[in-house]
Amino acid sequence: MKFSPISLLREFLVRLDDHHRESAAALTAVEARELENIFALLVLGSFIGLPAPPTFLAVELLPFMEREIRILNVRAEDAGDMLAEMCGMLGIDG
Amino acid sequence: MTTLIILVGLAIYVLLYFLYGKKLERDVVGATDANEAPSSRLYDGVDYIPARKAVLFGHHFSSIAGAAPIIGPALAMAYGWVPGLLWVWFGNVFIGAVHDYLALMASVRYDGRSIQFVASDLMGKRTGTAFYWLVFFLLILVVAAFSAVVGGMFVKTPAIASAYVWSIVAALILGVLIYRVKMNFTLASVIGVIMLAVAIFLGVEFPMPATYETWMYILFFYIIIAAAIPVNVLLQPRDYQNSFLLYAGLILGLLAAVFAFRGFEVPAFTSFSPILTGGKPTPFWPAIPLIIACGSLSGFHSLVASGTTSKQLTKESDGLLIGYGAMFTEGFLSTIVVVAIAGFGFTALQTAAAEKGIEFTLTASTWATQFTPLSSKLGLSQANLFIQSYADMVAATWLSVIPTQYVKVLAGMWVAAFALTTLDTTNRLARYCVSEMALPLKGTSAGLYNFLTNRWIASLIPAFIGIYLAYSKNFTILWPSFGAANQLIASIALMTGACWVHSKLQSRFCHVAVIPAWILWVTVTAALVWFMWVPLPANIASSPVQGWTVMGISIVMLIMNFIFIVDFVKKYYREQVQSK
Repeated sequence: MKFSPISLLREFLVRLDDHHRESAAALTAVEARELENIFALLVLGSFIGLPAPPTFLAVELLPFMEREIRILNVRAEDAGDMLAEMCGMLGIDG
Repeated sequence: MTTLIILVGLAIYVLLYFLYGKKLERDVVGATDANEAPSSRLYDGVDYIPARKAVLFGHHFSSIAGAAPIIGPALAMAYGWVPGLLWVWFGNVFIGAVHDYLALMASVRYDGRSIQFVASDLMGKRTGTAFYWLVFFLLILVVAAFSAVVGGMFVKTPAIASAYVWSIVAALILGVLIYRVKMNFTLASVIGVIMLAVAIFLGVEFPMPATYETWMYILFFYIIIAAAIPVNVLLQPRDYQNSFLLYAGLILGLLAAVFAFRGFEVPAFTSFSPILTGGKPTPFWPAIPLIIACGSLSGFHSLVASGTTSKQLTKESDGLLIGYGAMFTEGFLSTIVVVAIAGFGFTALQTAAAEKGIEFTLTASTWATQFTPLSSKLGLSQANLFIQSYADMVAATWLSVIPTQYVKVLAGMWVAAFALTTLDTTNRLARYCVSEMALPLKGTSAGLYNFLTNRWIASLIPAFIGIYLAYSKNFTILWPSFGAANQLIASIALMTGACWVHSKLQSRFCHVAVIPAWILWVTVTAALVWFMWVPLPANIASSPVQGWTVMGISIVMLIMNFIFIVDFVKKYYREQVQSK
């Protein structure tokens, strides 16, 4: 690739902009995750003993829920391991 | 000299990144892009999401960058500029960056799980549980140390206080523009930067003078309120706005340091044991990690690296730049601090003494005994000394077109932003720690459990104790205790990394993790014992409640420290015997 200071500067500014957008979006994304969790619990709650009315809905949607089930599993395992994630999310440091 | 040290520092970092860092990547961790990273393997669009290398670097760096790399090296000037700088460079390359990188890569290989999880898995559950206790203590001491820093800064330069208050107003407006008005993001960003500049202008024009005690009360309520309101109202727009401050401060500092062409005024070496912590002679070894703290290495980094960064790493080969390189960038920030103070700190102190009419007796031969007491007497210690030196350094170059008063406020806001963002996130973290720590009480004493985990009670405990400690103004006691908690977390994380390299990777180069882990553990343990033995008893005599609070925390930390080493030795050496 041809080296030029202008393209390097442009690249730097684009990456800086990307980083800012990423930081701004990260915390909002957590809110989205909570909504997804609620949705998954609502639809699949009966499987873990919650009296969720729409069981028939879960069965009907099951073939399309593969990714959600996988994510729910990972998040269930991560639920007791939030300290580091909170540190990273809040950017806490000395 | 200023330029030379900056260039030497840069050369050391670049060289060792490619020599030592690459060796670490290749021979110790064996990072390979053939292993699919958790960000794509477990992609969920929220936590597990591949991020571009440069973006993730920026995100990770702004998360790990704090006020300590500025304050620690400023305090270490009591030894002269060489010892502090050597610890920054040595600690960065061989301990801090290794610690960050191993935490990141261990987490990546553990599906993005935290270093706490890895520690539980490798060294025993109690090691993992201990993270909660250490982080909780650290949060209390962070509130204490950083409130004292901010309070001292706001009293010394009321313009910084005013500018920071205006910047909070600007952040609230920015939040409304982005989330309520849904303004175009770029336009909102431009408005945010303009508002930041206006805040600095208003700060300079309309300073807010108040006493140290008043600021402590204000900070106490600020910490509680900031943690209670939704993140998108203040925290998120303020963090976004602060990232501009961080980069502006770094770039301006770097340019000024390179173009200052100035000899050093501060002596290179004064004494192995100058007057520093609690007014007592403070030996370089073992006390230095407690003084420099995050400028060289930090335990929080392992949590940040394994908390969010590992879930967003696109491929393993990106890990070196992000885990190892970001720590170097923070070390480079400390190098700029050392250069600024070494080049301009003496004149700053001399000018301050002349303004206050105090006899100035600081010379190379009296530096060890008089630097810390005199700078404190002049109100020009730690952050304040850096701010003044930084402004003078900028004024000594072609950047002097920017009025010094504005540069001073910019540097002050930079430090304040670092300190306050940490302060107002402590409560959110403390609530979580308390609820996890109190879990064993749930079955036996439900009433006490409910009381402790009440969101307001869990928030009030660290804020109250922290501000109470800061109220005493005994900064040179608070700072090393904060340093001790932080470095202890680093010590456990590094031992975890060493165990991981040894038992999971079975690397024949595992000594590059094991040796620094031992060096750090021995040094921090000796430092903590020294701290409890020498400066703390004197502090207890002058302020008993504060002194005993710090002593109590230190005793628990020391006991935990010995439990960790037992777990580490059992795990590490038993496996070694078995493998033979």
